[in-house]
Amino acid sequence: MFFHDLQLALRSLRRNPFLSALMIGAIAVGIAASMIAITLYHARAGHPIPWKEDKLFAVTLDTRDDGPPESFERHPEYPPFQLTYRDARALYASDIPIHSVMMYRSGQVLSPDNKNIKPFGVTTRLTTADFFPMFDVPFIYGSGWARAEDDAPGAVVVLSKFINDKIFGGANSVGREVVLDGRPYRVVGVIAAWVPRPKYYDLNNWGGWEIPEEVYISFGWYRALRLSPHGNVNCVSRSAKIEGPDALLTQECVWLQYWVEFRNRSDRDRYQAFVDNYTNEGRRHGRFPRKNNNRIVAVQTWLSMYDVVGDDSRMQLALGFVFLGVCILNTLGLMLAKFLTAAPICGLRRALGARRSDIIRQHLIEVIVVGLLGGAVGMALTLGGLGFLKVLMFSARLAHSDNPDRVALVQSFVHMDLSVMLAAIGLSLLTGVLAGLYPAVRIGRLAPATFLKTQ
Amino acid sequence: MEIRALLSALWRSKTGPLLVAAQVALTLAVVVNMAYIVHQKLSDAGKPTGMDFGNMFWITTQANTPDFNYTAAVKADLQYLNALPGVVAATPVNNRPQTFSNMGLPFAADPQTLLNPNGGVPGTIYFGTDKLIDALGLKLIAGRNFDPNVIAAPTADFGTAMAAWAPEMIVSQEMAKKLFPKGDALGKTVYAGLINKSAVIVGIVERMQANPLPSQYEQFAVQVVLVPIIAPGPNGSYVVRTKPGRRDAVMAEVDKKFGDLQPGRFVERIEAYDRTAADAVEGYRANAIILSVATFFVVLVTVIGIVGLAAFSVATRTKQLGTRRAIGARKFHILRYFLVENWIITTSGVVLGCVLALAAGVQLSRMYQIPQLPLYYLVGGVLLLWVVGLLAVLVPALRAASISPAVATRTV
Repeated sequence: MFFHDLQLALRSLRRNPFLSALMIGAIAVGIAASMIAITLYHARAGHPIPWKEDKLFAVTLDTRDDGPPESFERHPEYPPFQLTYRDARALYASDIPIHSVMMYRSGQVLSPDNKNIKPFGVTTRLTTADFFPMFDVPFIYGSGWARAEDDAPGAVVVLSKFINDKIFGGANSVGREVVLDGRPYRVVGVIAAWVPRPKYYDLNNWGGWEIPEEVYISFGWYRALRLSPHGNVNCVSRSAKIEGPDALLTQECVWLQYWVEFRNRSDRDRYQAFVDNYTNEGRRHGRFPRKNNNRIVAVQTWLSMYDVVGDDSRMQLALGFVFLGVCILNTLGLMLAKFLTAAPICGLRRALGARRSDIIRQHLIEVIVVGLLGGAVGMALTLGGLGFLKVLMFSARLAHSDNPDRVALVQSFVHMDLSVMLAAIGLSLLTGVLAGLYPAVRIGRLAPATFLKTQ
Repeated sequence: MEIRALLSALWRSKTGPLLVAAQVALTLAVVVNMAYIVHQKLSDAGKPTGMDFGNMFWITTQANTPDFNYTAAVKADLQYLNALPGVVAATPVNNRPQTFSNMGLPFAADPQTLLNPNGGVPGTIYFGTDKLIDALGLKLIAGRNFDPNVIAAPTADFGTAMAAWAPEMIVSQEMAKKLFPKGDALGKTVYAGLINKSAVIVGIVERMQANPLPSQYEQFAVQVVLVPIIAPGPNGSYVVRTKPGRRDAVMAEVDKKFGDLQPGRFVERIEAYDRTAADAVEGYRANAIILSVATFFVVLVTVIGIVGLAAFSVATRTKQLGTRRAIGARKFHILRYFLVENWIITTSGVVLGCVLALAAGVQLSRMYQIPQLPLYYLVGGVLLLWVVGLLAVLVPALRAASISPAVATRTV
């Protein structure tokens, strides 16, 4: 029965090739537009570390002066997304979290032992030791450093896979020496290829759509090296005084990312009390002029607070669906027209004993075939479109980097994963049914006698 | 004209026309709003920068030894660059314009203002020598350039450089207007927040758009303060401007020689400035292209819908039309019939579309923090859909008009 219907459907499609092509084409561009939009959105809306959603928290304190919000601030109620050195240091003393991390991004020059490779600039993360276990950073060789290295910083370094490949040819380099800004460091670990998307733990630099740093050294080196932050430094209070090299250590300027990991929910609540208590205490000494606005937020909340998805992706998504809507309306109209032109044949079938449900089923099979054909063409268009977008949107960001992580990051923006592909198939079926249900029912409902008459 | 007959015929088979009207409505909402967003993106991308990128390039250096003598290197580098034939001016900078690296402070004519939260005028700061405005190709419209004698040797770090500050500054016209709305900025003393320093405005440049920021952040792009300070090392950034047509040759020369000019450092990157500026707006342009292409296809699909419906209605009415021709209707009447029918369908869609477009416009202007959708976009969209609708129906309507009256005498 099914094959008979399928045969009828294909025959019907061939009978009117122009109209069939228009329908399939309309569904195809509708599917392609919405799939491209879904892919771009999906790539930005993912959770980078879902298994730690109820354990991992960003910490922000409201250090700002009390005053009217700036006109361009979309969410003036959110505290600055980074901490001052002073506050980070104070919070770091708490033993409520099982892991605490304070950190920032900077840059150094790496001078390889191998004289064939010229010195080159690297991005550096200065972080406390818990960074590696806390963010589940995967290692190929070795590991991070011990917490003891944070206060009396040892000359140890963790390399990214890219750097290890570049200067050690991918060999196990643990124990070997790397010279950064003319100072030797001993390699203790090499990270596997690792590109969290977004780079949720530091939303500076491209709003979090940036690759992890290339080398990692202890945060304790800040005091000795004064490596300047390669991110946002925001002096949030007018009481701040920038006068000399110590400004970042002492003044109300935020520049450090701060994250904690808790054993359980109640530790989080205890920590909130601890932080609130800290700012209450500070207020007694003239700091924190605003009401307590200390936010300890999980990754998902954090990403939506600082809008890593972005308006453009949301706009593309909305446009994609409106586009699909137009295509569905279009196909509905064409389908109706097509079915009605073929009405006499149905009339004949009804007159020869076919039931109404047979006619409806036959036409539904036809619309599903159209939907799936449109979906298949749409998928091809989607892949082509995504390839085009990759060049269009990211060629500048790819041009100046030999780091494969960057290629991986850009690739991920236009990557269609299994869930998106399944969504595409579902969407094309749904489109076919949405566009075809009414025409199929309508054609089934007409009395056979009307069909058999001429116009 | 047989308007009543036309309407009653439309009403008898209304599903198809309703579908087309709904498509037209959605299409109008999409076209109008996307045209507006695309215009916003392109205007964000295409604003005049005030700089002469076609004749400029930049070069960055990094030190690879802790004992690198930055002070001596800067001096020698500037001597070398400025003496090169074809070079107009070369300056060290703290940040390169168009790279979205920014440094800013609040400024005010009255230091008291700066103690208020968010008080003062935000200014984006560029450090450079007396060659700065020439190296960027900025147009000085009032006052003078920096006095070379006020430029001190570079300090060890940015904190110290900010604290030392300088006695003079040159501001962009936008900045001058914000600080002194009466237009008497030249020669006035301006105070900088967070560093408690002041400087006199010795010159005003016409325009400098440091970075192509979205319009709601534009103040951070065009309110610029130029300060005669050599940016601290050990990493150096230079901007060089050449005589017209000489840039690529000078760049090649510098690329070859610059690395070995000083011991203990290497050239990180050298790039033509028009390339940098184009990269800076890549995102805007890409988005504008994506939205335009998608909108074009939405219109195309709607055209297909109109053609399909009209072709269907011609096909099912062949005999009717033949009969009309046989009893005296002229080709022109048939053509007119279809054009008017289509116009009525399109117009009912357009009316609904206007409501949708305005509703979507309110949403978008809130989301992107841009002004309300101007009504002339709506007018333009309506006209576009009318024209597109008529053109789409023309082919099927012409075919209908050419139906022979003899059809009436045949059976199907």
